[in-house]
Amino acid sequence: MRHPGMPIAATATALALAGCSLPDGEYFGRVPAVRDPKHLRYCNNGQPEGLDPAQISSTTATPLAHALFDGLTRYGNDGLPEASLATSWDVAPDLRRVTFHLHDKARWSNGRSLTAHDIAYHAARMLHPLTASPSADGLDWIKGYDLFIEGRNKVLLAEAGGLPAGTIVEITGWAGVSVADHKTAKDRLPDTNLRTASRPLALRDLGAAPAAAYATVPRGTQVVLIELSGRPASAPSPGAETWAYVHWNRGDGVFGWVPAAELDGQPTGDVAFRVRRVPKQQQPGVDLTLDELAADNAAVRAEVDVRGKDLLGLPEVLGIRAPDARTFVIEAGDPTPYMISMSPSRVLRPTPREAVSRSPRRWAEPGRIVTSGPLHLVAAAERDYIEMVRSPTYWDQADVKLDRLTVYSIDDQAASANLYYTGDCDAIRGSNVPTSYLPVLSGDKRGGRPYADFTVAPYLGVYFIIVNTKQFDNVHLRRALAFSLDRSLIPRVLHGGEIGVASYTPGTPIADLLEEDLAACGVARDTPGVAMVIERGKLCYVPPPGLEFDPVRAKQELELARQEMGPRFPKSVLYKFNTGVEGHKLVAEYVQAQWKNVLGIDVGLESQEWKVYLSDTRKLQYQTGRMGWIGTAADPESEFLRIFRCSSPNNRPAWCNPKYEALMDEAATMTDRKARLAKLREAEAVFIEEAPVIPLYNYTQKHLQKPYVRDLHINFIDQPPLWRVWLDPDWKRKK
Amino acid sequence: MLRLILGRLIGGVFVLFVVATVSFFLLHAAKGGPFDSDRAVPEAVQRNIEERYHLNDPLWKQYVTHMERVATLDFGHSMKRQKSVKEMIAEHGPKSLRLGLMAMVFAAIFGTALGVTAAARRNTWVDYTLMVIALLGISIPSLVLGPMFIRWFSLGLGWFPPARAEDFSGYVLPALVLGMIYAGTVARLARAGVLDTLSQDYVRTARAKGLTERVVVWKHALRLGIIPVITYLGPATAALISGSFVVEKIFQIPGLGFYFVGSVSDRDYPVLTGLLVFYVAFLVLLNLVVDILYGVIDPRTRGAR
Repeated sequence: MRHPGMPIAATATALALAGCSLPDGEYFGRVPAVRDPKHLRYCNNGQPEGLDPAQISSTTATPLAHALFDGLTRYGNDGLPEASLATSWDVAPDLRRVTFHLHDKARWSNGRSLTAHDIAYHAARMLHPLTASPSADGLDWIKGYDLFIEGRNKVLLAEAGGLPAGTIVEITGWAGVSVADHKTAKDRLPDTNLRTASRPLALRDLGAAPAAAYATVPRGTQVVLIELSGRPASAPSPGAETWAYVHWNRGDGVFGWVPAAELDGQPTGDVAFRVRRVPKQQQPGVDLTLDELAADNAAVRAEVDVRGKDLLGLPEVLGIRAPDARTFVIEAGDPTPYMISMSPSRVLRPTPREAVSRSPRRWAEPGRIVTSGPLHLVAAAERDYIEMVRSPTYWDQADVKLDRLTVYSIDDQAASANLYYTGDCDAIRGSNVPTSYLPVLSGDKRGGRPYADFTVAPYLGVYFIIVNTKQFDNVHLRRALAFSLDRSLIPRVLHGGEIGVASYTPGTPIADLLEEDLAACGVARDTPGVAMVIERGKLCYVPPPGLEFDPVRAKQELELARQEMGPRFPKSVLYKFNTGVEGHKLVAEYVQAQWKNVLGIDVGLESQEWKVYLSDTRKLQYQTGRMGWIGTAADPESEFLRIFRCSSPNNRPAWCNPKYEALMDEAATMTDRKARLAKLREAEAVFIEEAPVIPLYNYTQKHLQKPYVRDLHINFIDQPPLWRVWLDPDWKRKK
Repeated sequence: MLRLILGRLIGGVFVLFVVATVSFFLLHAAKGGPFDSDRAVPEAVQRNIEERYHLNDPLWKQYVTHMERVATLDFGHSMKRQKSVKEMIAEHGPKSLRLGLMAMVFAAIFGTALGVTAAARRNTWVDYTLMVIALLGISIPSLVLGPMFIRWFSLGLGWFPPARAEDFSGYVLPALVLGMIYAGTVARLARAGVLDTLSQDYVRTARAKGLTERVVVWKHALRLGIIPVITYLGPATAALISGSFVVEKIFQIPGLGFYFVGSVSDRDYPVLTGLLVFYVAFLVLLNLVVDILYGVIDPRTRGAR
């Protein structure tokens, strides 16, 4: 094709820029006069894949969605959760339940009051197979999750085999065959929620008159029942009558409420199912001690035969409850210390049912969208711009400083830096600067004088080498590879102030911690390495030290490997990396040189297109390669350690260690948070010593902000509360 | 003429069929799928996503659906964006069209002027200088020329924005960069074409009539000498209008070119196959237009067909 790749374009721009010598000012480029102190022009790092919190996952989209949709908690200036829709919350002592207490001031942009029912609706929507959300696993800790995404947990509607009506059961088989034996794709689990009606169904908002219908399902057409009003996890019924919320598979799909009595046909009503009650640990509302739960998990649960008409999938099989409009309860199967850390995430940012129902895939577009956050979407053009304005219905007006936010969707890093340079953007999205600009921006190529508007800050991410442990099954070989890398060289390779440490769980350099956090971390200021602050001044995690550079030990380990492996000892090592990012190539060359110099190993480099790389590493068609992992909340367990458990889909080294599993399992049942972190640290130490991955550095974020930009906070997860930004016309005087 | 058009159209349909088939299987043969990411999701979640987009259907079934869509000129929905391929063409096509037309006009006028001037002053220093310029235009890739233009005219002189074409001035730099390669080729073709005709009998006749050299070259010689240029401009227009990944990326113009590459790296099957079919249809059509134009320009070909 006539299209070469993008990194070349960036490099070429960089060459043109660097080669022609930049003006030698204090700031990078022009600082225009502030025209409107309440209008921010923000260069984002690309086109967001959407704005619906259920359908997004990228760093491009999430900060925008967080400005449009409020949450129980929101990301504060420091990136840690702060109260928003919820004014307070109670965490149960066993860490298996949080009760959020909501205030009554929140409104959707259409004027409707935002209640706990909206949050319950969104949580269930996140997990429903019809939504097919890529972020569904963000709620994988709540009761009923595993069965729900497979559509297997149901409410028993009538007493059967000693199980009372209302019991939550799991389907173990149907038509005389167990679930495990129904393997082929065409042999799908029959949906007990299928319904038909003998009259046309007028789909509408809950309690609305038939005339207000926005879609009419023809008589006899199949719909899927999603929920019933008046149930524990649903909105209350508008009158005495129960209403049903259904999905009609027409075009992009449409949802709507109808009186439940109108659904008089049940195509799967006669299918024979075999069910048993779910373990008590997965039953919402059941409080037992952990020992009692373990005993119940081990107990045999009797299987019962029922008909499809007696089973119904409803959101209440999940650990979510809205007992009233101002109370939201979420329940976890295991003790889950990170329930609050995760609470500001998109998985708990309620979406407006009335808008989603009418246009499930395209409701988050200008004109259709209903928002609840500080900003409201008014215009958008793909790969061009997104325009938001202050939302007049937002409850916390004092918190909003911006009247207008223009987001430019710039996927080319050089273009982003250029627009900033000419003053067309006030700030650019973290790290959306070409790697080749960094030596200049950071001052390395400017006599050590960085530009005053350029900032480097820690970022909750770690860059590491993955090792295929099925091929490199000798631990000494892996350790030799780890010991032979001098991480202190990395900032000189990449010029982005990277934190070159061999430990795995990322954090802030201990030297930069706040005084109050230092005590919580239990370390001295001069301790090397990083620490993750989980709760300011209270809870902190210091990862165990990694296999830092030690050429002597590296050679010893290599010798051991040579002896133990014999003829299987590899003659050379292949290191793979993906194209598209300049830095990966620089790191690959650094690794190649280090392994060659210290160990004398010949290293072959192979670059692959991103999807091919993902596929090859997933299928273990590699020896060593690069990978990065970015956390979305300050929690070592959920964000960083779980990905290397045996069953994790992200365990690319295919490393499965019984000791690590046992320690992780043990930690998972602990309710004392400090003791739990200590246990996790033990597990991480096993992981590090075994070296299935070789950490290289902690990510940093690189920011460019014009000197007049105020309160664009840089935090460890790069989730800036954009609505708090303002521009200072008098910046020169106050400097 | 009617037979020509009909024959070309039938041939075009066959070409479209082949392109739609080959592109479908090539893209599906590539490793990875649209929903692979470095943050892999649990199997059950992945299955729910694939079900929503019918990716778990057998390949032949997906192919049949795909061809049905192509036959009805539907092309289906993007898997990565909440838009139909048609909507994407409608939204981004005009931006590529605008850029492509500006580049085309520039290439045709600038290139022809260069080529004809060089031909008129053949084997002088003027000819050599102009041909070196044309050669530079052809050989400097836009990913070098673009940043250089940005550095000089945007960051340096501040005449044009460095990216994001919001109005005419935003399109100037990208159109120049995009048109430059084509302008160089047009110049060389025009020079060769005019030189060729200058030795023809009818030109000698024109000279013998006592016409000035300017009239001979620009009116009589150019008329036939331009034919190679026209032949070239047909497919070139299709290429220009369908967008250029590099230029659109450097200048951040939300045109169609991005998706030719973006949909491959996204494995967004419907978008890539849809765009290819659209592009090829365009190409077939423009080649047909060029063939018809021959007849209009060159009186001698009229009888021949």
